[in-house]
Amino acid sequence: MNIKRSIRQFFLPSLTPAFLFRVGFITLLAYLIFGHLLIPLRIQGYSMEPTYQNGAINFCWRLRYLFSPPKRGDVVVIRFAGQHVTLLKRVVALENEEVEFREGRLLVNGTPLEEPYVRSPYRWNLPPRKVEPQTVYVVGDNRSGSIENHFFGQVSLKRILGSPLW
Amino acid sequence: MVKMKSFLILLILIAAGMGAFFILSQNEEKRVKKQLSLLAKAISKEAGETVFKMDQKMKTIGSLIDDPCDLQIPAYSLSGSFPRDEIVGYAARGRLHASELRLTFHDLRVSFPGQDEADAHLTARLTGRWKTGETVHEAHEIRCHLRKVEKKWLLSRVEVVEVLKR
Repeated sequence: MNIKRSIRQFFLPSLTPAFLFRVGFITLLAYLIFGHLLIPLRIQGYSMEPTYQNGAINFCWRLRYLFSPPKRGDVVVIRFAGQHVTLLKRVVALENEEVEFREGRLLVNGTPLEEPYVRSPYRWNLPPRKVEPQTVYVVGDNRSGSIENHFFGQVSLKRILGSPLW
Repeated sequence: MVKMKSFLILLILIAAGMGAFFILSQNEEKRVKKQLSLLAKAISKEAGETVFKMDQKMKTIGSLIDDPCDLQIPAYSLSGSFPRDEIVGYAARGRLHASELRLTFHDLRVSFPGQDEADAHLTARLTGRWKTGETVHEAHEIRCHLRKVEKKWLLSRVEVVEVLKR
């Protein structure tokens, strides 16, 4: 009898002030966490393969760069358009550094960068350029195909929302 | 007593002025949003669109843009000031390559920097299919400037925000 009542109470709880307070508190907490701290994101596209697969679910950890700027090798979430369209890219060069692609190899300040996360890169060529202040240079891990078909370049630090949780 | 009465009248006048300004600016904001919504509908294309419908839509596009209009859309190699007819021509040719297109605007923010001037900041999403069978799935952050000409808001500048600069 008691079990039956407990089950009923669980699925059809009485609308007591305490219950409404709990519901309100949980809603507020969920809004703060999933609206501002750990924003859910679904990966669409292949630009970060093999590290992140198309269709995977992740969260953007907003406090990641609260006290320190992104470092080389970090994967960052970039605000691309409005509040909901974001890009996932890897930081390869920092401000004032010189970046260049030569026959598919990425060179930073003239030195080839070790990139174990890149599989079978296409032979990209891009003349050297200096990364402007308050920006970082980002590229996707998937370097297959022609350079024209890829989104990469320097992005303002202000547009970096955080990093993927895993 | 007289002073008090004058003070109250002044307060009421200020409140009425602020209220009128708020209502009027709201109306103007609605008008700007309506123009942009008309533009999105005119650029969109349903499968099997008739020539008559296409002609109507091109006229609508022409009625929404200023002559000339400044375009900064590097993705489509458009940069500079273009006459209205030329822009309508570009739109018509672009739509011809698509079997269906859907343009929607999101996160729309409108501000009024001066008399008869408006700035709109928005996210544009373009989805659909090219006649080659390839799907279209693009999102861009866009800044527009509009000018009020004979009580109509016309687009005088459209700029795609460059997030990643190579």
